[in-house]
Amino acid sequence: MKELFPAKQVMGFVFSLILTAVALAVYFLDMSFAIGLTVLVVTAFIQALLQLVVFMHAGETKDKWSIYGNVYFMIFIALITIFGTLFLFNWDM
Amino acid sequence: MKLDHSQPLEYSTGQNNLNIFGFWIFLGAEIMLFATLFTTYFTLEHRTGNGPTGAEIFEITPVLIETILLLTSSFVIGLGIHAMRLGKIKAMISFFSITLLLGLGFLGFEIFEFVHYVHIGAGLQTSAFTASLLTTLGTHGAHVTFGLFWGLAIILQVKKRGLTPETANKSFIFSLYWHFLDVVWIFIFSFIYLKGMM
Amino acid sequence: MEFFERFAIPHPSPAIYASMVVIGLTVIAIIAGLTYFKKWGYLWREWLTTVDHKRIGLMYLISALLMLFRGGVDAIMMRAQLATPDSKLLDAQHYNEIFTTHGVVMIIFMAMPFIFAFMNYIVPLQIGARDVAFPRLNAISFWLFFMGAMLFNISFVIGGSPDAGWTSYFPLAGNEFSESVGTNYYMIAIQISGLGSLMTGINMITTIMKMRAPGMTMMKMPMFTWSTLVANLIIVTVFPVLTVALAMGTMDRLFATNFFTSSNGGMDMLWANLFWVWGHPEVYILILPAFGIYSEIISTFSSKNLYGYKSMVASMVIISVLSCLVWAHHFFTMGQGAASNSFFSITTMAIAVPTGVKIFNWLFTMWKGKIRFTVPMLYSIGFIPLFTIGGVTGVMLAMSAADYQYHNTMFLVAHFHNTIIPGVVFAMLAGLTYYWPKMFGFMLNERIGKWTFWLLSIGFVLAFFPMYITGLDGQARRMYTYSEATGFGALNMISFVGAGIMAIAFALIVYNVYYSIRYSPRNIGSDPWDARTLEWATNTPVPEYNFAITPQVNSIQPFWDSKKKGHVLFPAKLDKIHMPNNSGMPFILCSIFFVWGFSFVFAIWPLVILSTIGIFACLVLRSFEKDHGRYISIEEIKETEEKTGGAKL
Repeated sequence: MKELFPAKQVMGFVFSLILTAVALAVYFLDMSFAIGLTVLVVTAFIQALLQLVVFMHAGETKDKWSIYGNVYFMIFIALITIFGTLFLFNWDM
Repeated sequence: MKLDHSQPLEYSTGQNNLNIFGFWIFLGAEIMLFATLFTTYFTLEHRTGNGPTGAEIFEITPVLIETILLLTSSFVIGLGIHAMRLGKIKAMISFFSITLLLGLGFLGFEIFEFVHYVHIGAGLQTSAFTASLLTTLGTHGAHVTFGLFWGLAIILQVKKRGLTPETANKSFIFSLYWHFLDVVWIFIFSFIYLKGMM
Repeated sequence: MEFFERFAIPHPSPAIYASMVVIGLTVIAIIAGLTYFKKWGYLWREWLTTVDHKRIGLMYLISALLMLFRGGVDAIMMRAQLATPDSKLLDAQHYNEIFTTHGVVMIIFMAMPFIFAFMNYIVPLQIGARDVAFPRLNAISFWLFFMGAMLFNISFVIGGSPDAGWTSYFPLAGNEFSESVGTNYYMIAIQISGLGSLMTGINMITTIMKMRAPGMTMMKMPMFTWSTLVANLIIVTVFPVLTVALAMGTMDRLFATNFFTSSNGGMDMLWANLFWVWGHPEVYILILPAFGIYSEIISTFSSKNLYGYKSMVASMVIISVLSCLVWAHHFFTMGQGAASNSFFSITTMAIAVPTGVKIFNWLFTMWKGKIRFTVPMLYSIGFIPLFTIGGVTGVMLAMSAADYQYHNTMFLVAHFHNTIIPGVVFAMLAGLTYYWPKMFGFMLNERIGKWTFWLLSIGFVLAFFPMYITGLDGQARRMYTYSEATGFGALNMISFVGAGIMAIAFALIVYNVYYSIRYSPRNIGSDPWDARTLEWATNTPVPEYNFAITPQVNSIQPFWDSKKKGHVLFPAKLDKIHMPNNSGMPFILCSIFFVWGFSFVFAIWPLVILSTIGIFACLVLRSFEKDHGRYISIEEIKETEEKTGGAKL
């Protein structure tokens, strides 16, 4: 039975629950918008990375760099699209 | 079909390798799909017209339950892949079934949430905010729904055909999809719900 | 009755009724011809169910040429209408429909399939692969494109064409100002073919990254393969944006949501934003493979290695990132502030740098080369100065302050035609002439080809350069007429003459195909141009498995090295070859998609539900299907090799 629950993945799960709990702090505790948003950005991205590395085994083959490269390129363009649009319509109009 | 026994079953043929690689590229496209939905949501977030704002309609309890359900399902399918690599087919099928049940639970809560929104006057047509909210959530929900049927088809195939290079490959790709949906939900949870309720 | 009224054309004219008759007669002729010559079985077995990348490439090519003529007819009608002031040839509504369909057809249903044709046909050959990574998916991509194109093209006889411009800006494209189903066609048809493009993107990236012949490292890939890789990376990046934008536009029109409306918080500017987040990278998706084709051609006909290979690759990678950073230059005048306009101005101008690097690399490739002035080379040489003018006017447009003057004028129209025609269309015609012998086993006539090139170039200059002047003088684009007092008449007449000359050039291409089929010699071997890369190393006609033995690569021009330096291209022994089976699934699936699209356009919900179920049924069947492909035996391979011009061992 024990071999079905590898320590790495169990730890990963516990860690993602902790990150969720930390993120919840922005709801239950009283903090400024800037601090709250920082907490959310940090917890969300760490958790995404956790899924990518621990659960999705993104780095297990020799295609590692193509896979990471593709994902990071997409995230980069995704952030450009989101912040570029906000730049145009929310912060500069 | 050349088999490479130094690799796990899901990587053991050339085509299997291509399938997994291609699916990673597809997930790249999915990142952009959801990024566009987020772009829309963030742009229209405060354009509520005569409708309610996010802070007025979001409730923490169902959202938290949905989050825990999906997080757990993502963990469980990871265990399923681990069991598959150990060759334990029964454990694998059990883990996959639990994943789908958790997914079904998630979907149930989301449907309940949608009905609730429509009931309190935050339907699809109410305002730009509600349209972008429900479209973003709905796209994720549609992915989960699609995943339920897909996962079911894969469980049936593993049951019928056992663990072959094909079924192992399909199962692994499905697990990638499911983890990815969890990643998307983390962002929805953080930047739509929690940010909206802050 | 209201239900049936939606299928009627809102603005009928004799031309449209005539088109209906012609379409009807053509369909009848095709069906009768297929039946009379008993070709239905052949059509189904060899083409409709094929998963062979070469046949799919050819089908893309044929569709692209057909669409080129459809879009070309629209163009001629536009120029004819504008040739004289206060012309009554077309009314405003008809003109709106024509410039809309011209744009959509040319970009999405002509240029895209044209580059896909070359990608499909050439890339697997260039990297020494047997097929693409996912042959079945490749067929689905093609049929999705094809059904999207057909759906779009029936709009002008059933229900009316879209008329809100190829950019379909809201609120004009909303229900309030575009009542007919035309814009529904726009949203759904592009959605369907866009899905196909996305799948091609995934397919090509996987093929190029994972299926190269042994020895071909990333930095030994031919330039066209590199450009395909980068273009498909951009496809995978930006097509999802279009998917979402179109879905939201569809919801606004059919489900009364408020994404882009003017009420309840809707934001019409968001459509323009999302459209160009896709739309600007889209032009690089078109131009990069064109650059790749020019690189191959210039290298071959200068009898020299491509100059500056590494800088070519680097500039394409830089372009792929920058292309996603410039989209707001399409709407400098929309009301955002100076900070964002300046940012997008600078990124736009920055793109000129890597593009300039490429131009110089081509020039240096030709420098001291033994240049052969064949038709493909003429297009490539013509491209350099003409495209540079288009690029320079692009830098003018990139300056946001000055753009207030140029915006929405014919100056802009001149600019983007000046980049797309010498850039993409010339490349496609050059590639067509260059790869024709590989595809069909005979050459296109050079004499007629040279006439075509000169007519096309002269026609192009006459048609589009006057627009720079009228644009600066204030002639707005998309206006169906102008008064005599504006003084635009003479220059527009020159444009019309130029467009006429271009039409003659395109007709000459058809004549050239006919002439060459009849008179061109057939025994030309598999390497008629004395070329350098792997696609010329296999037999002509190319066997279905491409290479009997997987080639061994040592440099960026392995075939040249095998001819001149004694490089051994095929060191291994013959072995049986694994190939995928044909399948009717892609065609059937995509036919259901057509029904789905059509019923969505007219909001026939029962049919939408039914066809959605049909689509998912196909997916389930595919999931449970057992298909391990088949093997071609060594005897069969030997036989085929003998038949196609001798074994290359």
